[in-house]
Amino acid sequence: MQLFFSYFKDLVGREVTVELKNDLAIRGTLHSVDQYLNIKLENTRVVDQDKYPHMLSVRNCFIRGSVVRYVQLPPEGVDIELLHDATRREARGG
Amino acid sequence: MPLNVLVLHCKNCLVTYLCLRSLMVVKHASRDLSIFIEKLLVLLRDGRKLLGLLRSFDQFANVILEGACERVIVGDLYCDIPLGLYVIRGENVVLIGELDLEKEELPSRMNPVSEAEIKRAQKAEREATDLKGSMRKRMEFLDFD
Repeated sequence: MQLFFSYFKDLVGREVTVELKNDLAIRGTLHSVDQYLNIKLENTRVVDQDKYPHMLSVRNCFIRGSVVRYVQLPPEGVDIELLHDATRREARGG
Repeated sequence: MPLNVLVLHCKNCLVTYLCLRSLMVVKHASRDLSIFIEKLLVLLRDGRKLLGLLRSFDQFANVILEGACERVIVGDLYCDIPLGLYVIRGENVVLIGELDLEKEELPSRMNPVSEAEIKRAQKAEREATDLKGSMRKRMEFLDFD
């Protein structure tokens, strides 16, 4: 779990789309993430605005880690070499 | 006297203790104090939408809302039903959003209606989806998507 935490920490400041288990998808700049993978987004906008009118004026939000289904990452945020290294290190036990 | 020492001293008086502790939370966890002043939107797992002023929170996302109200939206109708002080258990929280005061809270096409009216609309909507569900069940033998 530490691996995902540090990976998400590296993504801070980038634009991500978070899809929740209730099918709500929110796009925004990743502001911070914690050990539970709770996420704080800034300058958020909901992907399907018409279906969720109550989200219109939400600019910044906190999302509980347990309700996240997917996080869509920017392609340039994925460094495969770095991830390979990190996963090998994790598999060897730190 | 530093705040944390003061808190220890006041442990026997629950109210002062809680007040001071929430002050400490404000001091430590939130560099941005605006979240305690602005109205927040809390989305729950059952789809309910609560609005209110944040008074406290913890690491489980347990939240205390002051002057909470539930915003019921059915189609283009909406209603804010006042609830009062709410303590929300963290596991039910989906999202906590800060509202932008410059922007409209809802699209201009939405109309405010009374509590009785929104309850009626809600019931009608629920019956419609139930009917759709039972129709689908009866037609299942046709095996369509």
